Amino acid sequence: MFSQVDGFQQYQDTTDWQKWGKANFSYQLRGPSAAEQRNYSLREENLGGTILKSFADAYWFFISDVDGDNCSFNPTCSNFFIQAVKRTNILQGTLMFADRFTRDLNLFKLHHYPRVEDGHFYDPVSLYTLNQNNIKIIPPESFVITE
Amino acid sequence: MIPIICLVFLFLSQAFPQKDSSGYFNINSPSNIKKFADYLFCADDYLRAATEYEKYLSSYYNDTVEFKIGLSYSKISNYSKALKWFNKINNNSVFFADAGNEYFKSLFQLGNYYDFRRYYQENKIKNKDKIRNADKLFYFSYFFTEDELPPEVDFLKPFNSKESNKINEFYKRKINPPYKSTAAAIIMSALIPGSGKIYTGQVGDGIITAIATGLCGYLAYDNFDAEHNFRGWVFSCLAVFFYAGNVYGSAASAQIYNAGIRFDFQNDIKLYLNRQNYFTSKYDFCK
Repeated sequence: MFSQVDGFQQYQDTTDWQKWGKANFSYQLRGPSAAEQRNYSLREENLGGTILKSFADAYWFFISDVDGDNCSFNPTCSNFFIQAVKRTNILQGTLMFADRFTRDLNLFKLHHYPRVEDGHFYDPVSLYTLNQNNIKIIPPESFVITE
Repeated sequence: MIPIICLVFLFLSQAFPQKDSSGYFNINSPSNIKKFADYLFCADDYLRAATEYEKYLSSYYNDTVEFKIGLSYSKISNYSKALKWFNKINNNSVFFADAGNEYFKSLFQLGNYYDFRRYYQENKIKNKDKIRNADKLFYFSYFFTEDELPPEVDFLKPFNSKESNKINEFYKRKINPPYKSTAAAIIMSALIPGSGKIYTGQVGDGIITAIATGLCGYLAYDNFDAEHNFRGWVFSCLAVFFYAGNVYGSAASAQIYNAGIRFDFQNDIKLYLNRQNYFTSKYDFCK
């Protein structure tokens, strides 16, 4: 009876450990890395979007891609900020980002979020827009498959 | 000698193949497809059974097969397809009443509670010995919507004494859910950073917020006090950033907490319904 959630399918079997022993589980990267998936394009952006995206592009290019995949969330904090601003407005998006950034500082969040395939915590923008209809609960510690 | 025997055997096997009653054996004949589909259905391989039955229906019409396709989709929780097949069964069929009941249950399991209630209220339930479960499901549907609940006395009527206690507990949880107030979370966080998050159960986030806001505030004060104005302004901005995020985040956290309460409540009901076997159908297709 448990339905799929917004294009994300809950699943139970992504583990490298099974009862009585180790399971066959590939640790090879399944696709391009986060850095390779970046979309640096400024097309289809309005003026505000272009300014915001330029900062994000610069941050990705000069800091994030060099520093490595360190954000524990999916979407990453920078992506979260861009998505939040696009979905709401610059003020609310900034507030959402401030909240996300504080939550990212919390080292004891291990059991509070569902996970995506690569182990990152799944924390979509839709939960924080203050619109109750957008909130789709996925139990903590369950797994979701991104589209 | 052995190769000759093999060649003769091969020749004979081609000359006299197995035959069925209709002539030569044809694995893809409609009757064999149906037999295979029946086998799959009884082996609980419902997805493939439905595919084979659909293949069979392209040659012949059979209301039993239509009904079994509906049941197969229902068993694998594909309720939208199940609805389509149950709806196809016409009123001359012996399965018309059962198809109506299965349609009714599929509407519920699909989460289409308004159509489900309309179907119930239009008295389309034909199989009277199953009406008691239908009554129960009708009232259960109110737990999944935001509509006003019927009076408690009416609500509990279809349930027996064993069930009543549990249903009564669900009823009270629905009327008075243990929600957290969004306004209270905002006010608490505005007064003491982080307290709104702690109020909504996010203790770790609350403590981190309090530390981040407090530390930046203190560093701003200390730098202004030491006349390091630039650094003072930097830390002031950071303190405002964390403070504003904390107030906003507390409101969001309260909403997520409340959505979690609703989710847990509906999950508990679904588990209860599955345990009570309200959806189990008994048909003797596999003797």
